[in-house]
Amino acid sequence: MEIVLKVDHLGKSFKNVQILHDISFEVYKGEIMAILGPNGAGKSTTIRNIMGIMYPDHGSIKFLNQEGIPRNKIGYLPEERGLYKNVKVMDILLYLAELKDYPLKKAKERALAYFKKFDLEGKQNTSVDELSKGMGQKVQFIASILHEPELLILDEPFSGLDPVSQELFKQEIRNLAASGTAILLSSHQINLVEEMCDRIFLIHRGQKVIYGNMDDVKREYANFKCTIRGENDLNELKGLPNVQRVEQKEGSIVLYLSKDAHVAHWLRNLPETLELNELSIDRISLHEIFIDIATDRNLFKKEGMISA
Amino acid sequence: MRNAFKVAKWEFKRNIKNKSFLIGLFLTPAIFLFFILIGNIVDGSSGEDKDTTRVFIRDNIGILDTLQKTAKMHDLNWYMQATDISEKEVKEKLASRDNTAYIFLDDRAIDTGIIPVYTSEEIDPLFMNQVQVLETPIKAWQMKQLGLSDEELATISKGILFKESTAEDSAADNKTAEEGMASIVPGAFAGILLLSIIFSGMYIFQSASQEKKDKVAEIILSSLTPGELMQGKIIGYFWLGMIQAVVFLGFGIPMAIWKLDIPIVEYLLVPEVILFIFIAILGYLLFAALFIGVGATMADMASANNFQGMVMMLPFLPFVFIGPVINDPSGLFAQIGSYIPFTAPGVLILRLSILEEWPWVEIIIALAVLIVSIWLFMKMAGKIFKTGILMYGKNATPKEIWKWIRA
Repeated sequence: MEIVLKVDHLGKSFKNVQILHDISFEVYKGEIMAILGPNGAGKSTTIRNIMGIMYPDHGSIKFLNQEGIPRNKIGYLPEERGLYKNVKVMDILLYLAELKDYPLKKAKERALAYFKKFDLEGKQNTSVDELSKGMGQKVQFIASILHEPELLILDEPFSGLDPVSQELFKQEIRNLAASGTAILLSSHQINLVEEMCDRIFLIHRGQKVIYGNMDDVKREYANFKCTIRGENDLNELKGLPNVQRVEQKEGSIVLYLSKDAHVAHWLRNLPETLELNELSIDRISLHEIFIDIATDRNLFKKEGMISA
Repeated sequence: MRNAFKVAKWEFKRNIKNKSFLIGLFLTPAIFLFFILIGNIVDGSSGEDKDTTRVFIRDNIGILDTLQKTAKMHDLNWYMQATDISEKEVKEKLASRDNTAYIFLDDRAIDTGIIPVYTSEEIDPLFMNQVQVLETPIKAWQMKQLGLSDEELATISKGILFKESTAEDSAADNKTAEEGMASIVPGAFAGILLLSIIFSGMYIFQSASQEKKDKVAEIILSSLTPGELMQGKIIGYFWLGMIQAVVFLGFGIPMAIWKLDIPIVEYLLVPEVILFIFIAILGYLLFAALFIGVGATMADMASANNFQGMVMMLPFLPFVFIGPVINDPSGLFAQIGSYIPFTAPGVLILRLSILEEWPWVEIIIALAVLIVSIWLFMKMAGKIFKTGILMYGKNATPKEIWKWIRA
């Protein structure tokens, strides 16, 4: 697959505090790649360095194997975003398209098509300050994709959106990826990202924690866990084979199984003396991994990277 | 640079479509115009019917014609008429009239040199001054009566004039009031230009901080560099300032032609005006750099701190120098004012308007200081703008700003 964006050993410090340590990843053509991490992990800083809004202390950023980012081939939706007030919706969209050197006639046609898609029909002559917050977000999103960018960078695209708009955005992001746009998005909302991303880069305190294909990451990190409701002896459960860890909370006990546990086999070998009011088997969700990392419990954290 | 012009075009279009800008554009000159007109109307209404002073002349010596010509020549608003009432009847007549005067010309004029004038209670306050213009023809008649020839008359009526001339300003000694106007007109023109571009420069201030308030900076900066955005804003607001100047002059020049009766256009189209315009543009660039840099450090206009407020007042600093400079356009204060970048444009324009001979060495030094400061301020503004424009929600402290400049 064609590498659109290559971030290589990025490092950045503010006031002698290292914000980013040795961040490296790629974004391929036609894929959705997510940077995940808790607030303050360094997601926006990474993106701002890619965008050339900040300059990295170390490392390089390459676009289609070229140093530096051609601004007209990249679409960007920043985390802190807004639009000029007191101007018409269409005027600002055309201005932004003009800055990208995109033909204005085509931009106008595309904008009208997107208005239709995003339920903004007839709003082209509305003043920006008369739009609702959700409508404003849609206009900003349209602005970032109007010029058909080859690389689209979305910083927290879903923040502040209602569920209907979230779905709309998700669908459009998928469509763009399907038509060949390389998409890099950042988020701290794992559940949204989990279902739409091809690959993830989990970052914490400016360092890489997990990087790889979504399915591989799940397979690698998301072991099975068994939740049992009933009065049982903790020590007995701890002694069971393939159990890494036992957690007790509110009448239920969670057994975290090791990676090599074979679920069916393991279930069959449960002692008959156990009191089982309820029993469920799940994979550990990405959400749990995320919380675990963010709260520095590091119970699942492993070194190494899964190659994509 | 192409991107900068896109930004300039946008800023221009955005403001020119903005109602509050348009209102501001026309309101200031309209207010000026309004007060000038009001002044006229107030003047006019008190003088409309009694504007014309009725002057009755009991002419026993036969020079009424000459007097009428004299009054006409001096553009006096008089209605002159011969009368034959006696001095005794005058009081009654005047009691019932306004703006009326009776002048009695008879042999007393030669004998005592006193001419009795009776005026109504209400009369043009300048009337007794105006009457003095009649002195010359009466005096001429008086001398003629005494038997002087026309030649002798001419010599005497010339009067004596003390003419001062020193070695130093022999070049300037033929200066007339008209020539003074000739250099003031381009200066006033440049002053209006400077003032209106500085006014619109203040919009830059707002524009830079608005960029942050609307959180649009980062979106814009994904398409161009901070330098291009800054240049674009400076150019765009310069155009807006020119529009403001054109509107001002559009009101001002016809007004001045109507009121002042001097050939404005003729005085304006002189080579000197190029230097004046150049100084005005330099002044704009200096303040634009200053405003855009400081504007980028502010979260919004309302939260300006003392430091930022002070910067906003800097364009008005030249007003401090107006008094001393007018007193002595080549004096110490005038020179100091020319060398301080913030006051240089205003003070230079003022001095060059007053001074007959331009101090070229001082002008060149002052311009050099100004250009170097513009370059410096642009550099600093660029650095501040780059960082400041992305700082949301809080004002930068002077300490932070200093760090950005040094970065």
